[in-house]
Amino acid sequence: MNTSLRGKYCIAGVGETEFSRGSNRTTRAMGAEAIRNAMNDAGLKPEDVDGMLSYHGGDSTPSTSIMYDLGLRPNFYMDCSGGGSSTEALVGLAMGAIEAGMADTVAIFRSMNGYSQMRIGGTGVRAASPITGIDLLKRPYGMISAVQQFSFTFTRHMMEYGVKNEDLAHIKVAHSNHASNNPKALMKQRVTVEDVMNSRWIIRPVAHLLDCCLETDNATCVIVTSAERARDLKQKPVYILGVQGRGTKPGGDFHYQHGPISRVAGYYVGPRVFELAGVTHDDVDVTGCYDAFTYTALLQFEDYGWCEKGEGKDYVTSGIINLGGRRPNNTSGGHLCEAYTHGMNMVIENVRQLRGTVDDYCPQALEGVHTYDYSEGHCRQVRDAEVSMNMGWGTPAVGSSLIMRR
Amino acid sequence: MPSYVYRGQQINISDADTEYKGYFEAAAEHRLVVKKCLDCGLLRGEPGPGCPWCTSLHWEWNQVSGKGTIYSYQIVAHTVVPSFRDWAPFAIVLVELDEQSGQPDQYDGLRITANLVDESMEPEKEENVAIGKRVEVAFLDGEDGFTLPQFRLIDEPPKGTVWLHQL
Ligand SMILES: [Zn+2]
Repeated sequence: MNTSLRGKYCIAGVGETEFSRGSNRTTRAMGAEAIRNAMNDAGLKPEDVDGMLSYHGGDSTPSTSIMYDLGLRPNFYMDCSGGGSSTEALVGLAMGAIEAGMADTVAIFRSMNGYSQMRIGGTGVRAASPITGIDLLKRPYGMISAVQQFSFTFTRHMMEYGVKNEDLAHIKVAHSNHASNNPKALMKQRVTVEDVMNSRWIIRPVAHLLDCCLETDNATCVIVTSAERARDLKQKPVYILGVQGRGTKPGGDFHYQHGPISRVAGYYVGPRVFELAGVTHDDVDVTGCYDAFTYTALLQFEDYGWCEKGEGKDYVTSGIINLGGRRPNNTSGGHLCEAYTHGMNMVIENVRQLRGTVDDYCPQALEGVHTYDYSEGHCRQVRDAEVSMNMGWGTPAVGSSLIMRR
Repeated sequence: MPSYVYRGQQINISDADTEYKGYFEAAAEHRLVVKKCLDCGLLRGEPGPGCPWCTSLHWEWNQVSGKGTIYSYQIVAHTVVPSFRDWAPFAIVLVELDEQSGQPDQYDGLRITANLVDESMEPEKEENVAIGKRVEVAFLDGEDGFTLPQFRLIDEPPKGTVWLHQL
């Protein structure tokens, strides 16, 4: 394993648009704003950004449109097909492009009207399209949305390890507490375990409505450059220690033909990213574990080794993942409460955590002055956060991970 | 290209579809088939072009008994597909077929997705859906020639642990 790039590259800028349900504008307009915000955050001018990467599911705008809008002339760009777990992987590809001499500074963006246009939950455009190819063995049976496609994995897990829905609800509760200190979050109100359990069922036995993420209109961006280049820029660099993905389980799309089906891609990705980064679980202060649904977070906590397989229910109910706990997870509120962005908002949040400038309700948050009062409407900065880890989820079979240090 | 309508959804099966066309042609004859590798002889649950165990691209359709065991399931309480609303709550099951169960690896099996239906091809009652229960294929014939393999409970002792969710 080539560990020679450890700490050689960094995230120099982050940015996003408003998170909304009804942006009333195009993915192009949102993408341009998110990239511009990240450039301003980093203190980069158009001539400084010579690389672009994006990911999409046929629901975004090509880099070649937005480069006009911002006066960019990339030496390198690619628009990649992909959803969740792409952010982390593209950070690695950006490093590779820079290392190969193809570019010096790469903006990675995702733009999606995930609520008002191509709804992530499968209603509208997706449900109305003709059924062909691999969908022939799914959609005729009424199986189309992500919560359904991943659910065989978790129902089986519930049988094998005795997890209860109530255990999952604790993940939503933690993330909602975090979101209550995030002015950007779509769903800021704190919820209880009872609120989650009393929300209507979507798919039994794995997900109530409040176990599901928030379909959102938004664009997000992170900018990767070398640590050397970042020294002259506006922000404290956040160094990339290791990145892996998108790594897979055996069988890819048809992973449920092999087993154990309750195992997810993190089982393969985790050991590699820790080795590459040269850190252990104990070194990590804050995590970003992909919460498309509460159960995707629980499955990943187990297979990335934060606890033994089957003990995820104890990990998520212990207080460890709450602000003020040993290792808070998704301090922005994540996909469940801040916004569904296909993973980028969790990377952005961890960059801000490591800078010490999380944008909470502390009056001097942007200067790094925090109260560490985690009650509603106050602080969400993790005290002295030094190392973060993101765990991106594509499907049970697909995942990526990113470990960063301040 | 054959095109059908099932529960308000348009289904297009291309003449050049090397994966699924033969599967549905067999279903129309009330035969459940999987692909068999002509080199190593193993069956595969997903009808892809290559053998996951030996990479061979030579295969033939192979009829199976249609009997199996519920390996996992989901109860769709809220559906995003309008034409399924009158069905909810309904079960989608992952059935492990009897053939090649636990081979070549202990966790491997031929696993097929379908609805769990009753004698009248309507959704089976939720309280009857459980991992471990025995099932058999039942073919749902549409008026335009499209046949969808479904599964029904059969009166056989369960295989392994029986598990259903507690609410
Ligand atoms: Zn073979």
